[in-house]
Amino acid sequence: MSERTERSDPVGRVLGTADATPLTFWVAVAPGAYLQLDDVVVTSREMPDGSTVTIAGVVTAVRARHEGAQFDSDVFAIADGTLPAQVQEAAEITTTRVTPEVYVPPSPGAIVHRAEGDARANALYFDRMQRQVPMGFGRDGAPVFLNAEFLDGSRGAHVSISGISGVATKTSFATFLLYSVFRCGALGGAGESANSRALIFNVKGEDLLFLDHPNTRLDESTVEQYNKLGLTAGPFPDVRVYAPPRAGDSSGTPDVSSRHTGVDSFYWTLAEFCENRLLPFVFADADDERQQYTMVVHAVTAHLARIAVPADGGISLDGVRIGSYSDLVDHVVNQLNDDATRGVWTGSAVGLGTVNAFARRLIGSKKDLDRLIRGDLAARRPHSINTAESAQVTVVDLHNLPDRAQRFVVGVTLKSEFERKEKAGTAKPLLFVVLDELNKYAPREGSSPIKEVLLDIAERGRSLGVVLIGAQQTASEVERRIVSNSAIRVVGRLDPAEASRPEYGFLPPAQRQRALLAKPGTMFVAQPEIPVPLCVEFPFPSWATRPAEAGPPPNATLRSIVQAADPFAVVGASTKGLEDDDIPF
Amino acid sequence: MRLYVDGWDPGYGTSFDNSGDGPASASSAQVAPDVELPAPDWRPIGPRGDVPMPPTVLLVDGVRRIDAGMWVADDDGVPHRGLAASYAAGVVRCDLERGVAGVAGAQVRRGLFTSSPTATDVRVGTVTYTAHQMGRDDQATLTGGVQAQLAALEAAVSGESRSDDDLLVVDGPLRGRQHLPRAVGYIKTHRVEYLPAELAGVVTRLEAGERTPVFRLGTTWDRYAWYLRLPTASRAPWAGVVRVECSAELAGDEAVALAYRSAATLPRFASSAYKDPRAPQNLVPIAGLERRLRSMLGDARLLYRTLILAARTVIG
Repeated sequence: MSERTERSDPVGRVLGTADATPLTFWVAVAPGAYLQLDDVVVTSREMPDGSTVTIAGVVTAVRARHEGAQFDSDVFAIADGTLPAQVQEAAEITTTRVTPEVYVPPSPGAIVHRAEGDARANALYFDRMQRQVPMGFGRDGAPVFLNAEFLDGSRGAHVSISGISGVATKTSFATFLLYSVFRCGALGGAGESANSRALIFNVKGEDLLFLDHPNTRLDESTVEQYNKLGLTAGPFPDVRVYAPPRAGDSSGTPDVSSRHTGVDSFYWTLAEFCENRLLPFVFADADDERQQYTMVVHAVTAHLARIAVPADGGISLDGVRIGSYSDLVDHVVNQLNDDATRGVWTGSAVGLGTVNAFARRLIGSKKDLDRLIRGDLAARRPHSINTAESAQVTVVDLHNLPDRAQRFVVGVTLKSEFERKEKAGTAKPLLFVVLDELNKYAPREGSSPIKEVLLDIAERGRSLGVVLIGAQQTASEVERRIVSNSAIRVVGRLDPAEASRPEYGFLPPAQRQRALLAKPGTMFVAQPEIPVPLCVEFPFPSWATRPAEAGPPPNATLRSIVQAADPFAVVGASTKGLEDDDIPF
Repeated sequence: MRLYVDGWDPGYGTSFDNSGDGPASASSAQVAPDVELPAPDWRPIGPRGDVPMPPTVLLVDGVRRIDAGMWVADDDGVPHRGLAASYAAGVVRCDLERGVAGVAGAQVRRGLFTSSPTATDVRVGTVTYTAHQMGRDDQATLTGGVQAQLAALEAAVSGESRSDDDLLVVDGPLRGRQHLPRAVGYIKTHRVEYLPAELAGVVTRLEAGERTPVFRLGTTWDRYAWYLRLPTASRAPWAGVVRVECSAELAGDEAVALAYRSAATLPRFASSAYKDPRAPQNLVPIAGLERRLRSMLGDARLLYRTLILAARTVIG
């Protein structure tokens, strides 16, 4: 290992005017050479017993100064040619790897080389990664990898992506990561890759509705970049898009404006709503112990589950036919207002004020949820989101929905997916969940049913094969247990006030400063094995990210819903050849 | 009565050193003032606009440091006083056209100066003190020996990296280097008043950038010389005045041309008072060179330790 020969010319020497420690040291850059931030370097030190300790690290700061100048104004005399001085550059190296693990400082004067090839892979632990997921390129233009074991749950799971809106490209990175995971073959056999699923919630614009469309702005150099990463540039091969029904439309057509083909609408029937006890998801704080009315929520939920009988699309409650969510709300409120029936619904010990608080909130939800909880559409019509029966990538469009409805959809969908995985009992195949605005669904303060589901995923999802790829503008406002359970932390451009918060303690000070001016497409990725976050530039998406970029729609979108999953596309999506055992059906 | 505060730190002596041969005492030097102007016409001469600065100016200087006082005992037990000294000399090459100044040649030497006839080189690790045998072992002879070696080293580096149209400024008298082309000596302190009283008044009347006419000066050796006042804020009579010398081998008009050239060049290099206690005479490149050379001498405490170590192993 110390015999690595893939070293280029020396770039400098360890300097002795600043302390060299096993974890950080400074390098004086040789004349005619240069070091930039994120360059990978390697040096070595002879031990008294004759062995060699190789110390590899990443440049985390660079400085240049005039040696021989005493005063700031000396620079004019130097530039004038009257004062002799020398420009000296020095780079701070943060150690990433010491082999063998003898933590001695490099000796001042030791020659430092730029690490390339195997030496670079060694310095960044790529050689230890048995399954690598390409993430993009480092500043030196060479690929940077993620250890798949920290993504798929074998040693860790979950990704937390932070950055300010617009320039941080959080969603683009999340989708690129998904594309890379599915196409690089790092998840295991080809069948494993093909069977893995992704559930993406689209919260802003219709950006994510075109994942299966080729990007018309894809150029040669981008295709070349994908090839360098070992990927094929192209759209996601197997995508299903769900959108909520149009408001006020009795036929339940999906509410999308730019994508016209291959979109299915999703909704819940009243029978499912009652039977699956979805009522708590209507309320943002239904699990909050400080709220009195939550008692009523759970009592009513239980009572609905007990008495609701499916009846021709809708339900019947004690012989009253209910045909829509509004009818259901009105009926429940009437029953609660009636002294004779209130006790049946809520139990006897609940005060009238508490019941009224519940009723007020329930009535308030009518407008938002009317189009999602239906009693007028055929129960047999496919309408539920189930990733196991859907395509590889399932996109759920939420951007048209009001806040309460978004929470309801995310909460109910995640809960049912999670329960399905719980029942299956095996981690494989994996389910990746991409959710933006995590600070809205799992805020640091308070408690809600959806936050409980997300916490469950963060804490137990690793063993159940549910991987959360969460994005947020401010990690400081997201439940701490969710962020701390994420093995992989990604940061794009940060707000200056946000960058100083302890949630970003994994970034060294220099990177924290750089995160303030990171350009779109640049992310800092921290993974457990590598002590320094890596600066990554990921390539331009090879799928359409907005209607204007979208090429011709794939054939699958033109098929009927039963044929939507093209088995050959699914099998072809994997890079390695399939073995007979792997056939994913 | 008027009072003037001399700009220099007292540790360096005053710019008009009154000890030894004071200005009041008549100098034994032969002064011929008629090289440029006849003595009665003497007046300050301003710089000439048509004399440009040379594109390259080279400045030579050296530094020395006594690392330790030593005793060297012969085999018969007779002790001899000795000095361990480090000294360095170098050249700054100021390329005024490109605006780059760099140390073109610098050499460091270490020596053990003693009267002991049996002294040998002291070698500790990578450090070597070369033995130099001196005639006597009094302090003046020993430091004189160091100074002589430094002067020799300065002379050795002076010839480096010359180009066609340059000017070589040697810090201190030009003695021993008169053969170098386009070279001037640069003297910061004036221990002896060479000019007769009626001409000395011209020196104190000089404005910044002005010089006296060239005169010929003969002591133990002959040279042309002139006084030049560098830009300075102080109004003290000798503040900012330096003496510039050139070889007596030159013709009179060549010496005058060099005088004009030095008057065009040197004021640009003058240092400012808040940065250098010897301003303005201690030129900026020379101050930079001295700093560099001093850092090349190595750490004094480290060398002291080295010598103690050597004393234990070699002698003790």
